[in-house]
Amino acid sequence: MSAPQRKTDIGPPHYKQFLPPVMQKNYGDWKHHEIINPGVMVHVGNSGDKIWTVRMQSPRLLSTDTIRDIAALAEKYCGGHVRFTTRNNVEFLVSDEKNIEPLQKELKDKKQMVGGIGPMISNVVHTQGWVHCHSAASDASGLVKVIMDEFADYCTTKTLPNKVRMAVACCVNMCGAVHCSDIAVVAIHRKVPTIDHDKVKNMCEVPSTIAACPTGAISPEPSKKSVKINADKCMYCGNCFTVCPPIEIHDPEMDGVAIVVGGKVGNLRSNPKFSKLAIPFIKNNPPRWPEVTAAMKNILDAYIAGAKKHERVGEWIERIGWEKFFKITNLPFTFQHIDDFTIARETFRTAATFKW
Amino acid sequence: MEKEEVKKKIYELVEKSTGKKKLKSSDIQKTVSADAGISRDEVKDALRDLVDEGKLIYTYFGGSFVEIPPQQ
Amino acid sequence: MPKKYDTPLLDELEKGPFPSFVTEIKKAAARSDMAADELGQLEKSYRDKRGYWKHGGIVGVRGYGSGVIGRYSSLPDQFPNVANFHTVRINSTSGFFYTSQFLNEMCDIWDKYGSGLTNLHGSTGDLVLLGTDTANLEAIFAEFSSRGWDLGGSGSAMRTPSCCVGPARCEWSCIDTLDINYAITQEWQDEMHRPAFPYKFKFKTAGCAVDCIASIARADCSIIGTWKGNIAVDQAEVANYAKKGMNITEEIVNMCPSKCMSYDGKELKITDADCIRCMHCIAKMTKALKPTGEKGASILVGSKAPFVIGATLSWVIVPFIKMEPPYDEFKDLIRKMWEFWDEYGKNRERIGELIIRKGMREFLEFIGVEPQPQQVKEPRRDPFFFWTEADLQK
Repeated sequence: MSAPQRKTDIGPPHYKQFLPPVMQKNYGDWKHHEIINPGVMVHVGNSGDKIWTVRMQSPRLLSTDTIRDIAALAEKYCGGHVRFTTRNNVEFLVSDEKNIEPLQKELKDKKQMVGGIGPMISNVVHTQGWVHCHSAASDASGLVKVIMDEFADYCTTKTLPNKVRMAVACCVNMCGAVHCSDIAVVAIHRKVPTIDHDKVKNMCEVPSTIAACPTGAISPEPSKKSVKINADKCMYCGNCFTVCPPIEIHDPEMDGVAIVVGGKVGNLRSNPKFSKLAIPFIKNNPPRWPEVTAAMKNILDAYIAGAKKHERVGEWIERIGWEKFFKITNLPFTFQHIDDFTIARETFRTAATFKW
Repeated sequence: MEKEEVKKKIYELVEKSTGKKKLKSSDIQKTVSADAGISRDEVKDALRDLVDEGKLIYTYFGGSFVEIPPQQ
Repeated sequence: MPKKYDTPLLDELEKGPFPSFVTEIKKAAARSDMAADELGQLEKSYRDKRGYWKHGGIVGVRGYGSGVIGRYSSLPDQFPNVANFHTVRINSTSGFFYTSQFLNEMCDIWDKYGSGLTNLHGSTGDLVLLGTDTANLEAIFAEFSSRGWDLGGSGSAMRTPSCCVGPARCEWSCIDTLDINYAITQEWQDEMHRPAFPYKFKFKTAGCAVDCIASIARADCSIIGTWKGNIAVDQAEVANYAKKGMNITEEIVNMCPSKCMSYDGKELKITDADCIRCMHCIAKMTKALKPTGEKGASILVGSKAPFVIGATLSWVIVPFIKMEPPYDEFKDLIRKMWEFWDEYGKNRERIGELIIRKGMREFLEFIGVEPQPQQVKEPRRDPFFFWTEADLQK
């Protein structure tokens, strides 16, 4: 069988045809919404029409089998309409109230995790990791799995002071939202890469390899038609490896993860914030990384105990102060915590006010 | 300038650069439009033809470049 | 029957309440040789604590430089079915809305030509088909494009834009995020499919400052809906929130960043001139509070992950712009930004990095935007500033 006629530059289909009729009718004319439980919310139009959303957690990496199951459920309960969220959750869009109970029941019977709406932990934004990425210093899907197992109750039943957005990036490229998440994991390398000069000569462009280094640690090695790395300047980011694969950065015994906290993207109450370093290194311990989940639980528990209602992790820490954060979480404060990169001096304390 | 002539100029530029410096689409557009005194859009259009015909391809090595496809 | 691998380490990740990606790979591995070898190689990664993938290269569909990402196993002898295991990015719909019919068709194509594994969705927002052989790429493209679907962006190109759910289901959206997202996608198909930029360029459109699409952190151009009028207060609904147990003084008034609200136990008052439109009060009291008046967007530029100069959040460039079809003013602004980037940008330099290197003034002058206090947190503190000849004549 020959393939059908290809077309180019058509873009995706228009979104309107995928909206349930009630959303088409009330498009741009919604009045308010209410969270019924952590897995269900209802949006009400100025017309009085309603649409219910049932949110199911997803590992993001889905087989076609599971997508077909999702499609079948959408057909049974939602007239075929379903959407995905930016955090990779599945949202069943229910127009008929009487379908909500049976849909929830069927999801429960299928052992699906339903929840994450409101002041909860919802799915963890993440990257490819060992599943499919060249530069991964850890796996991402595995870390997400063990984190969500650990905090499952905060997704399905137990509420938090505010939502806690988590992310996992399998290297400092951060193809996720690690740099602006409440509590996030980023995999790091800790050793200067090794260079296969013969391959560099054939595979890499010296100028772009030099330009890829954030700290100016790479310079030409003309005798070998290759490059050399100043070990004192290297921060093991691996950007050179991405541009020039014969510069090998992986080191299974030295690679691991760091934990960063206090970031957010929304503007509510306080401005968007970057995540900041809490724990500089935890070794890779697959398959379940128990040290990582324990460390995250320690931070989350401190947040739950200390934050005011509606405060995000970063807002709570800023109110109590970072020195207090390190004290109550009992986390060691190290040289790695003090910035020595591009914005370092903005982060040094310039006041005589702090806590003990 | 005839499109075929622009295509020839583009191909020659890429050929000359092969093994020395990878060219980006914008490098080609800038160089050929300046050399031939024609608009960027004309170069872009000719480049698109060359890629559609398979005479040139896009490659990715830490950035997108235009190159001659390897011999099968 | 595909090869069956022992996976004692990965099996540990099938335990626990959260749905397991290992179970997903195993489902596909039951019928796909590619998925089976993916599983086998992943188990080895778990054992050795390192990845075994190589990237880059020359794969793609004819005519495009985008949408396919070359991926190769570095252990092709051990795992021959993932020797080539390329990603295909399908441009998702605005708001990630689908029908069961499309999902089933997509699965049919992917079971026929690929591993049966997907990401819904990738970090940028593409519908990611995870793993196929080079030989299948043209057929996959023909199957999807003949059904009205196209490839997304990759490489030094405009990437697949994404947006929040917006007016389709949200009462807060000040702009039609889905339409803006669709318009951007359609306007710049060439920029998406034929990489001609110094590096990637991402658009994300959020209906309001809650920013559910993380536009301010993850887009070279962040479009964030906002308004210029007052917040309308429904005092009866305010009373309802109080009655249901909300401590309005603590939770709303005291948490207002601009301290523009007061509450005396009966009436909630807002000094609108002092409001900075952070969305906290509206998000917490959605039945009682509504933005009114002129709606539009703030355009922010430059956010990205850490490489090379450290992570950035987007900077306010145009504090307010009307966002109505056909979005000509917005599109002209973007074209000027790209012209600036094309003129001065180096390979792998994002537009935000270029703005830092060349200076905000040069960028603003090039794109024709006047300096405004909304663009900065505070004016400069140093005395080192330039005067051009034109400045001296003023």
